[in-house]
Amino acid sequence: MSVLGTVSSLPLEPQGAQILSQDGNAMVLSMGPQHPSTHGVLQIMLEIEGESVTKAEPEIGYLHTGIEKSAENLFWTQAQTVIERMDYLAPESNSLCYALAVERLLGITDRIPPRAQQIRVIIAELTRIASHCVWLGTHGIDLGALSIFFYCFDLRENILDVQEAAGGARMHPNYVRIGGLQADLPDGHVERLDALVKKFPGRMRELRALLQKNPIWQDRTIDVGTVTSEQAVQWGLTGPALRASGIAYDVRKAFPYSGYENYEFGVPTRTEGDAYARFVVRLDEMEEAMRIVEQARAALEPGPVMIDDVKVAPPPKETIALSMEALIHHFKVVSEGIRVPPGDVYQAIESPRGELGYYVVSDGNNKPYRVRTRPPSMYNLQALKGIAPGNLIADLVVMIGSLDPVFGEVDR
Amino acid sequence: MEVGPGQFFLAKLDDVARWAQSSSVWPLTMGLACCAIEMMSVTAPEYDIARLGSEVFRASPRQADLMIVSGRVAQKMGPIVKRLYDQMADPKWVISMGACASSGGIFDNYAIIQGVDTIIPVDVYVPGCPPTPDGLLHAVNLIQKQIREGGRGGILARA
Amino acid sequence: MPSPQMPPIAGSAVDPPALRPAIQDATIERVAPQNVRARLEALKADGYAMLLDLGAVDYPQRVPRFDVVYHLLKLMPGAATVSQVDTPQRYRLLCGVAFEHPRVPSVVDLWRNADWAEREVFDLFGITFEGHPDLRRIQMPTHWEGHPLRKDYPLRGPARERSPRPQFANKSNLVAGTPPSGRTAEALAQQVRLRQAEDGRSEERVPE
Repeated sequence: MSVLGTVSSLPLEPQGAQILSQDGNAMVLSMGPQHPSTHGVLQIMLEIEGESVTKAEPEIGYLHTGIEKSAENLFWTQAQTVIERMDYLAPESNSLCYALAVERLLGITDRIPPRAQQIRVIIAELTRIASHCVWLGTHGIDLGALSIFFYCFDLRENILDVQEAAGGARMHPNYVRIGGLQADLPDGHVERLDALVKKFPGRMRELRALLQKNPIWQDRTIDVGTVTSEQAVQWGLTGPALRASGIAYDVRKAFPYSGYENYEFGVPTRTEGDAYARFVVRLDEMEEAMRIVEQARAALEPGPVMIDDVKVAPPPKETIALSMEALIHHFKVVSEGIRVPPGDVYQAIESPRGELGYYVVSDGNNKPYRVRTRPPSMYNLQALKGIAPGNLIADLVVMIGSLDPVFGEVDR
Repeated sequence: MEVGPGQFFLAKLDDVARWAQSSSVWPLTMGLACCAIEMMSVTAPEYDIARLGSEVFRASPRQADLMIVSGRVAQKMGPIVKRLYDQMADPKWVISMGACASSGGIFDNYAIIQGVDTIIPVDVYVPGCPPTPDGLLHAVNLIQKQIREGGRGGILARA
Repeated sequence: MPSPQMPPIAGSAVDPPALRPAIQDATIERVAPQNVRARLEALKADGYAMLLDLGAVDYPQRVPRFDVVYHLLKLMPGAATVSQVDTPQRYRLLCGVAFEHPRVPSVVDLWRNADWAEREVFDLFGITFEGHPDLRRIQMPTHWEGHPLRKDYPLRGPARERSPRPQFANKSNLVAGTPPSGRTAEALAQQVRLRQAEDGRSEERVPE
């Protein structure tokens, strides 16, 4: 078995394609995996008649990383590093969901300090806005609207500055930990956050002004990729795609976590189910997310950010030089890892793509036994098989963009 | 360069060619995973790679001269990366961006190719997971330096 | 560094789902493979309209070895407000699948999104879904051998040493990837021999 595979095993040949052609214009075309508009490494085996698609079979696996297998061989806290790299547009979502799942298995969900929960909510919602910025920028580029890419990424840079100050890195900061957070917010952070909150409405107005009433944008997205609510449930869509088809299912409202029940926010829903509806739902979600950030910011109370339990988290660094027990516990937690009692749990959160769930199985050891991800992007992308036929190739690009897949999550 | 009588600049043709090549390095969009997002940030206004000459990112390998392998290379994707590299026209350069492309990164397992340099030759490695956009800009600067000062640039360049 | 050699520090539970603490995350039920299809049809008729996820877990010390886990969600479709959706409910159906007959009926006709999920379980665990229209590998390349997420599949893959770095001609149009040769082929042969010696039976094949 070769490490790389040979040319003959390239999945570029159509697998079992059946071409029925009336006028000889039928063709099988492989769109991707190198393509500017597929949002990552996706290959779609298209059967087309002229310019319109008769069958679209997405081929995934071009970014399969074996994250779930790697996680089984790392300590619980180390596994979080690989798990965070699944949905790389919203890394803190992955961390949050995993931390919540493990905390449930440990039985410490009620003991997470309130300040940690509030900061987790702020981070999660800022991540949602940042992720939607990338979505909007790349979706715009696919359709030819190049300017919005720059506006969106500028807003994203502002958000990443705030995230970097808190977590230490722009992407994959590993800031949310099992038991709380890695460290408290630095001095001056709240002022930085306030400045961002103040700047945001102006930015949102600009983003809306660029596209929402733009006749070309509306022509290209209205009535394209329509998903009825029955189809959405059949395909297992969640997140903005489901809410744009009329079903107001949001995990933050249905199964609240991390204190979301204390905040007031709306769940934008539309009934048309086309790409334009998904676009508007995500824009509205960005504004709702900022509302939540403002409320969480106002609710911030002083206190610890990590649970005070040496079986879960190492003691604070300051105590190590003063206390022998603290030193011993720190050593044990770092060198041996923490132990999680045996059991299984399914924990879901509302990631920017939909319901991100982890089915975590522990056998009582210091390493996860199994971390099965419920990847929202994979199920969202699968719907492409159902909605693509009958549309133009250009519409296919609109549909992929509006479903917003992230391939780190689809392929894991 | 010297100014001769009658106000002509004299310079070696090779120097001019290298200057031209280093000033307009067009990358190929080989955005695979998280590093691709930082690569997109590099094209955004805050870090702006266009001021270094990379005005456009080309999706077609025939039209690009720099391949920035940004992200983890999975088993299925390896042959594709190799094929794209072969399709690029000479002279071409490769930046291996991030830990995963340079060495497999944190994914030391069955699914990830442990370093894209096992399948294509790399000119500059950028460490980081993901590297900040500054790191990628520095890498492009190093490529430009390589082109200007030695290695595979100039009018007699071969890959 | 991830390493299968990092030793477990506590006794490992053989059947974690049976020992789970009282966490209210879903209604949980265990069912045998011959009844799973009927049970899922009944649940769908009962209003569990969305299949959230279909995954598998490998418990090699336990009989039956695999668990196929179905996560279902009860939603009322067409609801336009959160109050009409009325506290969705989760259901988790666990199906123990034996190693000797890794076969489960497919549910693609009940929920269309089971398609890729079943392919992934087939690819990574080797469990066959009877009735699936197109059961082939999805994450790994087509000619990959082995099912990576099984516990006896090595983390780094059976044939990998520190990746060989080939001598490289600069204008190469070599076919990407070389068949294992030299030390790699020897390492692969060694692993296969060791596993055969351990199991004491002839070459292990994935039961078809």
